[in-house]
Amino acid sequence: MKNISYLFLAVLFAFTSCDKEDETPAQMNVKITFDNTLNGNPLELNQEIFTLPSGESFMVKKFKYYISNVILTDSETNTQYIETDSYHLMGQDFNSSIELGMIPSANYDQITFSIGVDEVANSRTDQTGDLDPNNDMAWNWNSGYKFVVLEGEFIHESTQERTGLVFHIGNNQNYATVTLPLSGLAAGKPASISLETAIDELFSNPNTLVPSNLASTTVMGGPVADQIGQNYADGFIKAN
Amino acid sequence: MQSLIRYAGWMMASTLLFSCNEGELPVDQGPTPITLEKPDYFSDQQVMPSDNPLTEEGVRLGRMLFYEKKLSQDGTISCSSCHQQEKGFSDGLQFSPGVNGTLGSMNAMALSNLHWQTRFFWNGRAVSLEEQALIPIEDPTEMNLPMEEAISRLQGDVDYPGLFQAAFGSDQVTSENIGKALAQFERTLISANSKFDKWIRGEVELSPEEELGLELFFTHPEPSIQLRGGNCGDCHLGFLTSGAPNGFAGFHNNGLDSDENLNSGLESITGNPFDKGKFKAPSLRNIALTAPYMHDGRFSSLEEVLDHYNEHIQNSETLDVLILEASNEVLDPSEPIRLYLSAEEKQAIIAFLQTLTDEEFVSNPKFSNPFN
Repeated sequence: MKNISYLFLAVLFAFTSCDKEDETPAQMNVKITFDNTLNGNPLELNQEIFTLPSGESFMVKKFKYYISNVILTDSETNTQYIETDSYHLMGQDFNSSIELGMIPSANYDQITFSIGVDEVANSRTDQTGDLDPNNDMAWNWNSGYKFVVLEGEFIHESTQERTGLVFHIGNNQNYATVTLPLSGLAAGKPASISLETAIDELFSNPNTLVPSNLASTTVMGGPVADQIGQNYADGFIKAN
Repeated sequence: MQSLIRYAGWMMASTLLFSCNEGELPVDQGPTPITLEKPDYFSDQQVMPSDNPLTEEGVRLGRMLFYEKKLSQDGTISCSSCHQQEKGFSDGLQFSPGVNGTLGSMNAMALSNLHWQTRFFWNGRAVSLEEQALIPIEDPTEMNLPMEEAISRLQGDVDYPGLFQAAFGSDQVTSENIGKALAQFERTLISANSKFDKWIRGEVELSPEEELGLELFFTHPEPSIQLRGGNCGDCHLGFLTSGAPNGFAGFHNNGLDSDENLNSGLESITGNPFDKGKFKAPSLRNIALTAPYMHDGRFSSLEEVLDHYNEHIQNSETLDVLILEASNEVLDPSEPIRLYLSAEEKQAIIAFLQTLTDEEFVSNPKFSNPFN
């Protein structure tokens, strides 16, 4: 019963606090959304034909990736919000937003997150939620996670055959941390941070990939996977 | 903290109910909520539909309806005719006879762990178990009973109105509540005590052959690094060995037919020509008991299934890229698609598939015919 009276007090408090207009609420609701694009157009699975940086036509069948360890920073006051247990499986037609919920108020002007999962989480698969190994992202049963998955098809230039292109990129060296500037977030105001992925960036900058020239169009490790890892470390996800 | 909130919620809810229901039925007379008994390695993220929570009375009614022959036109068949417990809730036939012996055109699917699936039928035409459960009752090639007639038969029965009252708070039989009760019973059909499950829980060891089969099952081959794989786990995911639960991601063209002979499959639901020839990747739980295999039951043994994936893949415009791209040897794209597993490796995968048989599930009295 005591618990309920606390609850009532809290509700009462919430109402009374509205009277003081100039006071910044102690918390603010923040969510992060991801829009996936290719060649500047919104991604659509399994129907639209897109053009890769190489000029080749490409149809995407699956696109999923892990975003983890999200941190918001107010660089003026040096305040940080660090999300705990921060692992999010994102993907086209799967999940496009991260709800941080009510977090301490600040004029956040930077977001930091990683693509992939950190070494600790990547060393075990007996986990739940977004790290549940049944999510189609755990690799070969007991050897960690795929960080970025892109599957699709293109017409191979030399054979003119319909050919699959399969990128399953993981391994600790391809865990990439990104920091982006934010604008428009004000302490106490609910905010939606809008980010954009550009699949083009898996194929370029700094390493240029031309699917028809790849020795193997299935990339699940090895030097080409690491090249793709270098590519997505910078420019793959931008503030919208 | 969570229990605190729940506690507060319950208190408030009961206060509310009390104040509205003065002089009517006491509040504790609703159906008894139950939770799905599942192993912790089955996902927690699949939520129960809010308008059809699992209850003791709902499951009891659903079980009776599942075995109720009155739901077929001539009173000869029930759901259980094509979904027989001892065969992992399948029927051992390529196509199942409906009333008057009319044959369908699709293989009756085995049932288990359905709570973790989100699209039903081989072509995905039902979005929920509640919706799925009603369709065979009216299908002319199955039970062939108009829904109105089904409702009036149950309404006129001595027992059913009381059972609907207990499960849903109204003795009026409705198609919605028939679907809900059947779905509740079907959700309780959890198969989680196979040798594979016992291995996951660390209770038993697999034989070396079964273990090789498991490794191959869950591995996509990568010849450039000598990683051998059977490529099964690309579509039959994780512990459930069923398809991806989001959207239509669990539907695939697995190379049964070339373009000329490709059935429409998922295309008939989405209208997308790129979905032609795609069918639901079924769970492989109890697969050794659920022959014949594939949406049209064309393969009578697991050996034939492995031969298909290893050496008889038919290329087509919508063949899954993970099949198109899978081989244990480096292939020239102009060569036919072959997986290049050895005879021993194929046998090992079959040995692993046999560890998915759950004897407790197929003999559990909770799932058996309540009229016997």
